Amino acid sequence: MVELKEVFETYEMVSHENLDVRTITMGISLLDCIDPDLDRLCRKIYDKITTLAADLVQVGDEIGLEYGVPVINKRVSVTPIAIVGGAACRIPGDFVKIAKTLDEAAKKIGVNFIGGYSALVQKGMTTADRNLIESIPQALACTERVCSSISLGSTRTGINMDAVRLMGDIVVKTAEATKDADSIGCAKLVVFCNPPDDNPFMAGAFHGVTEADCVINVGVSGPGVVKTALSKVRGESFEVMCETIKKTAFKVTRVGQLFAKEASKRLGVPFGIVDLSLAPTPAVGDSIADIIHEMGMEYAGAPGTTAALAILNDQVKKGGVMASSYVGGLSGAFIPVTEDSAMAEAAEIGALTLEKLEAMTCVCSVGLDMIAIPGDVPATTIAGIIADEMAIGMVNQKTTAVRVIPVIGKGVGDRAQFGGLLGDATIMPVNRYGCADFVNRGGRIPAPIHSFKN
Amino acid sequence: MNRTVVTLVGKDHVGIIATVCNFFAENNINILDIKQTTVQEYINMILVVDTTGYSGSFDSLAEGLDAVGKKVGCIIKAQHEEIFDMMHRI
Repeated sequence: MVELKEVFETYEMVSHENLDVRTITMGISLLDCIDPDLDRLCRKIYDKITTLAADLVQVGDEIGLEYGVPVINKRVSVTPIAIVGGAACRIPGDFVKIAKTLDEAAKKIGVNFIGGYSALVQKGMTTADRNLIESIPQALACTERVCSSISLGSTRTGINMDAVRLMGDIVVKTAEATKDADSIGCAKLVVFCNPPDDNPFMAGAFHGVTEADCVINVGVSGPGVVKTALSKVRGESFEVMCETIKKTAFKVTRVGQLFAKEASKRLGVPFGIVDLSLAPTPAVGDSIADIIHEMGMEYAGAPGTTAALAILNDQVKKGGVMASSYVGGLSGAFIPVTEDSAMAEAAEIGALTLEKLEAMTCVCSVGLDMIAIPGDVPATTIAGIIADEMAIGMVNQKTTAVRVIPVIGKGVGDRAQFGGLLGDATIMPVNRYGCADFVNRGGRIPAPIHSFKN
Repeated sequence: MNRTVVTLVGKDHVGIIATVCNFFAENNINILDIKQTTVQEYINMILVVDTTGYSGSFDSLAEGLDAVGKKVGCIIKAQHEEIFDMMHRI
């Protein structure tokens, strides 16, 4: 029998602490759509997505209503399009046609994002990979819901510096192509080291080639819940703090597990994983920076922040792993600046710098995420930022990512506004000293010594 | 059995429980358990009900309870019991 206290704890979590299921993401393999004829390929892609995911949004809403916890996003991820389109696409423009097809399919089924406009080039680029990468600025400018991710490195293979350099240019071109909307195209573009194949979160979601034909992955949330729980143990020891985070993460992840099983049953699609990430939103109280503040930092970014984030990330995993039968994806704490109002505020007053964020990415689940930088930052500097982040991921055997937005026409201190879940923030300064001679060398960075485990 | 937990939060006054219970009786929903606390003038109540005999959808039940809630000036929500078992039991 349920207890009054338990029911109202859940009630408080949902109504006052922003507990929600952040996303139910259906991963769809498009490998069986491959066709040398572009029109036929696009038709097959459209038909497969709109058939398999036809009821995704409705089922997500139904489950949310019945269990009283809202499902914020319903999304689709697909096989990296560079693989799917390789046989049909001769020029970058051909890939743009696939992007438009994905956008139309997403609109038809009512999902707000579709991920997988991706290429995996951590060791080398095929012609198709290069064409897809070169098509990104146009593809993201002429579509609304398509998200793109590129894997540039891994612990096993090292870092493809040719691709890193190319992505520096592509980020700038994407920003230029969407400059009328504060370069929002870059908010839908992320580069990875060690990307997971089953990540349900955008913009980095894609359906890995080792995955089944169709799976359901669920991403939970709940920074507000953790923050409230921590506010009840102010001044207590690290042991008490860690236990509190762990117990809270367990409860939050259980919701994800329940929703994943239920969505899988109702849609007749196997359950993949629960991603137990703490994902913030711009809503007040739904913030990782607030948790860091609650742990004892005046602002996120103050000395001690990296240690606090390391604790948070680890305890979230420890609590969450026991709560779900399969844990995957990114599973940790996200630190997107524009999507987290308290993080954006810390950046605005100068408490949080790009360099501190880089240090934080060594211990959080992803990387430099949703950071607005001046529009005149050179492509080589962006490539340098990417290379640094890829190196952190490669050496530490973890996922790292870069999603920076050079806001064309704006400089340090100006406001960039993206709206909705993407939020808004003040543009952060970037180190003005160059690295062009380094990133222009070409070739690959070899895999680190500890990758040779065979 | 189809167990649903109904949560009611609001300012206490005469007739809240009667109105809510009438709604369940009219819709052939059996009340299995009621627990409540009042703190100062506010009431927190949970009812565990069996909706097996209810002919409508969960959606219409939620809407019906919402309407009752407006009538008595409280917030009333319905949720499947399983979510509490999942969150609070190992």
